[in-house]
Amino acid sequence: MKLELGYIFIKDIQFAEQSKVENGTLYVNKEDVKALILEDQNFKSADVELARPGESIRIIPVKDVIEPRVKVEGPGGIFPGMISKVETVGSGKTNVLKGAAVVTTGKIVGFQEGIIDMKGPGAEYTPFSKLNNLVLKCEPIDGLKQHEHEKALRFAGYKVAEYLGNLAKSLTPDEVHTFETPSLTEGLKLYPDLPRVAYVLMLQSQGLMHDTYVYGVDAKKSLTTMIYPTEIMDGAIVSGNCVSACDKNTTYHHLNNPVIQDLFEQHGKTLNFVCVIISNENVYLADKERSSNWSAKLAELLGVDGVIVSEEGFGNPDTDLIMNCKKIESKGIKTVLITDEYAGRDGTSQSLADADAKANAVVSGGNANEVIELPPMDKVIGHPEVVDTIAGGFDGSLHDDGSITAELQVITGATNEMGFNRLSAR
Amino acid sequence: MIITNNDLVYSKLKDDYNILYIDGSFRDVLVKTRDKVHAGYELLTHPLSSSLKPNETPYKSVIISDKKGKLNFNSVYIIEDAIIEYDKFNMNIIKKISEKIRKDFKLIDLTVLESALNINY
Amino acid sequence: MLKVVHYINQFFANIGGEEMAHVPAEIREGIVGPGLAFKQAFGDEAEIVATVVCGDSYFNENMEKAKKDIIEMVKKYNPDIFIAGPAFNAGRYGVACGTIAQAVKDELKIPVLTGMYEENPGADMFKNSIYIVSTKNSAAGMRKAVKTMAPLALKLAKEEKIGSSAEEGYMPNGKRVNFYEKDRGSKRAVKMLLNKLNGKPFTTEFPMPDFDRVPPNPPVKDITKATIALVTSGGIVPKGNPDHIESSSASKYGKYDIDGVMDLTEETFQTAHGGYDPVYANEDPDRVLPVDIMREFEKEGKIGKLYRYFYATVGNGTAVKNAKAFAEKYAKELKADGVDAVILTST
Repeated sequence: MKLELGYIFIKDIQFAEQSKVENGTLYVNKEDVKALILEDQNFKSADVELARPGESIRIIPVKDVIEPRVKVEGPGGIFPGMISKVETVGSGKTNVLKGAAVVTTGKIVGFQEGIIDMKGPGAEYTPFSKLNNLVLKCEPIDGLKQHEHEKALRFAGYKVAEYLGNLAKSLTPDEVHTFETPSLTEGLKLYPDLPRVAYVLMLQSQGLMHDTYVYGVDAKKSLTTMIYPTEIMDGAIVSGNCVSACDKNTTYHHLNNPVIQDLFEQHGKTLNFVCVIISNENVYLADKERSSNWSAKLAELLGVDGVIVSEEGFGNPDTDLIMNCKKIESKGIKTVLITDEYAGRDGTSQSLADADAKANAVVSGGNANEVIELPPMDKVIGHPEVVDTIAGGFDGSLHDDGSITAELQVITGATNEMGFNRLSAR
Repeated sequence: MIITNNDLVYSKLKDDYNILYIDGSFRDVLVKTRDKVHAGYELLTHPLSSSLKPNETPYKSVIISDKKGKLNFNSVYIIEDAIIEYDKFNMNIIKKISEKIRKDFKLIDLTVLESALNINY
Repeated sequence: MLKVVHYINQFFANIGGEEMAHVPAEIREGIVGPGLAFKQAFGDEAEIVATVVCGDSYFNENMEKAKKDIIEMVKKYNPDIFIAGPAFNAGRYGVACGTIAQAVKDELKIPVLTGMYEENPGADMFKNSIYIVSTKNSAAGMRKAVKTMAPLALKLAKEEKIGSSAEEGYMPNGKRVNFYEKDRGSKRAVKMLLNKLNGKPFTTEFPMPDFDRVPPNPPVKDITKATIALVTSGGIVPKGNPDHIESSSASKYGKYDIDGVMDLTEETFQTAHGGYDPVYANEDPDRVLPVDIMREFEKEGKIGKLYRYFYATVGNGTAVKNAKAFAEKYAKELKADGVDAVILTST
């Protein structure tokens, strides 16, 4: 399967009469976007704001971040099974508004998490401070149940991202990147001497606000399975996970999965990137056993020599991670794990909730408990008062001047477990 | 058997499931679960289910086997690691929580539990 | 300018090798030996105001006195930082550097720094409580060691924020610190995997805790016929601690006869342990080593019998290596004496 990703670089975002992309600027008609959101009768009002790199803006609480993409050639549309038909995506051509994103905010529950600072020390920690963001603030109708609210907000994000993506449909990309995954037998012929590598992508799947969808299927109801990496680039996997801001995988992370990119970079040179194995993180321990059994079984069936396993979220997924590691290593397949740490504020506590001697190659995304100071911003988009009640915050986290003292885990994407960032700990 | 300190779980599921309601903290639920595991019950759900941090939500529901069997060492490891993890977080005392937020936490705990019980919406 | 006091051994002070290792501690004004390399590295930010010189044998054989004397010497100069070594792979020098640096830190409350090779026994003993820079295994690594130690020493002296072990060059000390790597995590993961696949060395960013989990033995077939022994790391010993088991970092264990002893009392037994409040253990040592209950069980026929001896050591900062060695020895004796099961009590 072969996909060409065409990057159209976005350096600025502005409101305008007409939505369009011109000379690296994304122009957005605010009213069109509002109307699109309000098509969903679960929302009584909507507001749209801009947040550019370097601006003194804090976005809180962040639900999801989505990159606008559009299918230019080939079957299917972006976010299949969600807002496009369930057709197999991942081949042909896709255009990307690189440098732009849709950010959804909103209080689905009282303790909604996630901060993006566009400036200052907080901005260093989150990759989304480098993007030209269109921030959606949607107010639900009275009495809307949390389930419906979460779903409505999730879909508002996809729809607006699709709307923006469509602006790029007929544009000529600034840069084109080609990704191709040969069939197993072709791959063996092409690269007979290279080690064969798969990527085990663990997806959060534990109920309301903890879910991930694959072609529209709730990941907790699926057995471990295989997927072409390019399918993920076309939005086959989307995030419904709103918990544990620092180490949840937003839809943006899935679209731009760094492990996939870096394995492709070495593909055909030092390794043969065979495919992606997607596995879930269910609550039921028997599910964890079953899912990790299948990861190991598929890795064995594929005949790979090594795998990278990435995690999502805090606590019990450590158990999935270690199960995957132990069982895959037991098949004689080498593993490298990517995780983050909760080593306490002073860094001296046990970092993971599970561990095993077989996990001898681990990449760390940093200690999420480290305390940071975020200076006040001129403008806050969203609900600043949630700071005192979110994970990593505490009574008095939010100071009178608008500055925040809290644990790193308040920041969206700060300790990402796909290895999206340079942050680490020793 | 469900061990819980979440009254929403109790009121919603008490007619269909065997529930041990704990009038106490998240930690009390973990400790009771540990005692049951030591007595030979098997842990069926992960005690740190959900990505909510132990010092964030006050509610926890755990499922263990209805029947007592041989001591299950995996269950012992998992519950004991969970208590260590809990204590690590609770060096930072829980925040003030409004009634509305309490309700939200109860709901999340319920839905996470239901995802294990295969109750769908 | 920041003031530094430096500690070196007889060899680096040019007094002599092993044959001069007995020389007692002395203090000299200014720089001696490797201090010169530090002086160059410090530039005009810091100066070595005095150097303590002490023979390795002297220090290790007269530890308490040496510590006391040296602390007095250092105190007089009121330095901003105390640097010991680097000791490279010299074992006794490494232990001396760690010991004196720890003592200066605890007593004088000033920052300290030392350096040594990672396999130097002093490293394991002190790396979690003081900053130890990892050096090469011989004095040929002096330049490199000073290059890492000098800037870290300045940071410590200025009480600046200390970065992660990977950035600053000290040995990982169990305290996780965030920092930015050159490459993003996914790229590091791919590199690590390629190294692992190709049999090349790689270093995990998070070493798993060492659990040393032991699979349980099959259950005792008939407990009512079994001979059961008590073993403790809780430091229970006959009153007066006849074997002088150390209150911490124990180097030995004791084997004590309890033939006919029905109950451990305040008058007959005590704890030698220095790591917990001993009041309750001394009041009734059965609380740590339950001889009284075992005797009851013996009488009621719940167990066969209580083994005639118990073994005890102090599990307080005791090196795992030592503890393993103790257990290997007495496990053999227990086995030879036909003991069926052991109850291990800790604190």
